[in-house]
Amino acid sequence: MAKTILCPTRGGKPSYPNQDQAIALAKERDAELLFLYVSNVRFLGRTASPILVDIETELDEMGEFLLTMAQERAEKAGVKADIIVRRGAFREALKNIMEEREISAVVLGSSAEGTGYTTREYIQELSAEMSAKTGVEFIVVHEGRVVSSHKPGSPQEAGQEGP
Amino acid sequence: MTKADFKGHSRLVRFSLVAGLGLIALILSATAFFNTGHASQGQGEYVITGQLVDTQGQPVQEAQISAKLPGAEEPLVQVDSQEDGSWALILPRVPQNELLIEISRPHFASQTVALRSQQANELATADTYNFGTITLERRITAGFWVSTVVFLAILLLIAFETLHSTTAALAGASLIFLVSYVGGALNPGLFIFGFDRGISYINWEVIFLVMGMMILIAIVEGTGVFQWTAFQAYRLSRGRSWLLVLILMGVTATASAMLDNFTTMLLMTPISLQIGIAIGISPLALIIPEVLASNVGGITTLIGTPTNILIGAFAGIGFNDFLINQTVGVILALAAMAGFVLYHYRDEFRKQSGGISPRLYETLAENAEIEDAQALWKSGAVFLLVLLGFILGEKVHLVPAVPALAGATALLIWLNPDVHKMITAVDWTTLVFFMALFIVVGAIQEVGLLSFIAGGMSRMIGENLPLGTFVIVFGVGTVSMAIANIPLTASMLPIVKFLSTTIPGANSKVLYYALSMGAAMGGNGLLIGGEANLVTAGITRQTDTPISFAEFLKVGLPVTYLTLAVGFLWLLIRF
Repeated sequence: MAKTILCPTRGGKPSYPNQDQAIALAKERDAELLFLYVSNVRFLGRTASPILVDIETELDEMGEFLLTMAQERAEKAGVKADIIVRRGAFREALKNIMEEREISAVVLGSSAEGTGYTTREYIQELSAEMSAKTGVEFIVVHEGRVVSSHKPGSPQEAGQEGP
Repeated sequence: MTKADFKGHSRLVRFSLVAGLGLIALILSATAFFNTGHASQGQGEYVITGQLVDTQGQPVQEAQISAKLPGAEEPLVQVDSQEDGSWALILPRVPQNELLIEISRPHFASQTVALRSQQANELATADTYNFGTITLERRITAGFWVSTVVFLAILLLIAFETLHSTTAALAGASLIFLVSYVGGALNPGLFIFGFDRGISYINWEVIFLVMGMMILIAIVEGTGVFQWTAFQAYRLSRGRSWLLVLILMGVTATASAMLDNFTTMLLMTPISLQIGIAIGISPLALIIPEVLASNVGGITTLIGTPTNILIGAFAGIGFNDFLINQTVGVILALAAMAGFVLYHYRDEFRKQSGGISPRLYETLAENAEIEDAQALWKSGAVFLLVLLGFILGEKVHLVPAVPALAGATALLIWLNPDVHKMITAVDWTTLVFFMALFIVVGAIQEVGLLSFIAGGMSRMIGENLPLGTFVIVFGVGTVSMAIANIPLTASMLPIVKFLSTTIPGANSKVLYYALSMGAAMGGNGLLIGGEANLVTAGITRQTDTPISFAEFLKVGLPVTYLTLAVGFLWLLIRF
């Protein structure tokens, strides 16, 4: 059975370097890629205006489109890729996917300063926690560079910081 | 049930209906008869009348007027002043001695006028005596400070997103009533208003218009027409992003005039993000101009912004009035905005789009297809009829809420959707927000805060109409960059009403249009200036290209002052 690398992504130009890193890794390890998009409509929580639109479906469609773009990039590089769209809290969605699918590694990326919604610190902390819980390797990339890797049961378990 | 049973049952229902209607008619006739009888009993009695105004000449209603004999504890007769400040005391006989007329009302200094012997003689001769206009002085009570603090706290809670807007407004309304009843029992100065008086500030026309439009929009949005339009804009532009942004701005502004701008941006942002990312430009170069256009486009019609609904219902400005008096100004403002946007994003628009792959094109087309063609043409037809109702209804003084409700009901019958689903589409939190807000704004009006502000503005502006228009357009525009424009507009309405009576020429309602422009255009200044901005930013945060506060400011602030200037010049020309 082919190994699967999970790559959560939000799409858009700033996420391309991180997607490329995941694609390169998948190619190197002869693995398949699974791109994940998670939408969260918590931002509508405090509004006084009427929410008459099925925004969750709209965001699902947008996520699917952005992942299709990522999928095309992977396929162009000769890597087989699948896509999956989820709703809700990112941490929870990630946990669920890892329970449902057999994932060999996760590539988590933070974008360039000022463009990413999730910070590098958050990604690092999440990777360490999830890696310890699931026993799966977590690779953190920032602007297309691997900055740390969390691999349980190896000398790098505590997280190896990149340059 | 057999056919005969059904017929019998049907006959029984019809009989019950006729009998019920007959009974109602009988009760109404009897009520009318007894009312007439009661009125005729009043003939030949002695009537003392007058009118109460505040220091700004505005009528004072619900003041208590009591007629007392000197030294007496209990009044002979007591009435409340009417909406126009008038009052009439009916006496069974002409007083032999002096009669004291005591006037009292919370938040005003009490006053006593005496009916002396000469005036009593006049009353005896003519059966009536008119005290003329009596001016009551405002009094700053503890309730004044409570209401002011509550109102400011609500504005801050909403601005800093500490509480949901509805919770904040509801907390304010509850506090006002609690202070009035509990605090007022301990210290009369804390009394703000009673429950009935507070509820009377709710503008039900606004509530029902918003409700009717919510149902209509919920049906129309499900058809996918807006996403389809955005995709057609992409096709039409043939990779020229400068043309794409102009078409999208036009579509958004037009859609905002028919829906509200919040809903428009909920519909347009996801598809625009997809198009922008797919063609390789910053999607913000499409989305920020769209949100700016949506905030301005809504000004054209009564239903385009919640603030216009408030202004229309308060000042009796109809759908046609907004259309006739604002459209050209809005088009000019949009043109100025488009010029700035093309200049600001010139580098993005110079990028040559390499086109998108057939697979992506197909996905995009799929995401933007009409979901329910039958629902689209039916809801489109009803929507047009509702618009016609708004336009033609004014001739028969049809309030806009009626065509909106009728249209919503017609669609519910015609399309037969899941009624429970449609009724849940009515966002009750918004309606409760409006109701609670009306009560809180009513409180600051009741205690005189708005009168003081109106008085100050009147002294500053004098009788200079262009200056008044300038102050409202730019003042409201600047404040509404940071303050939620719905409470701001609701609180400005009594002030604008007062200024419209003191400034010569302002009876054309120009100041209300200035308020409409200032409140809507000001929302473009900062990211926190409008809910459409915030929801758009929220959606962009779902990708790696979020709108930041600074990015929005760079475009929003210049566009705000540019459009305010164009709007102001238009109002000067128009009025």
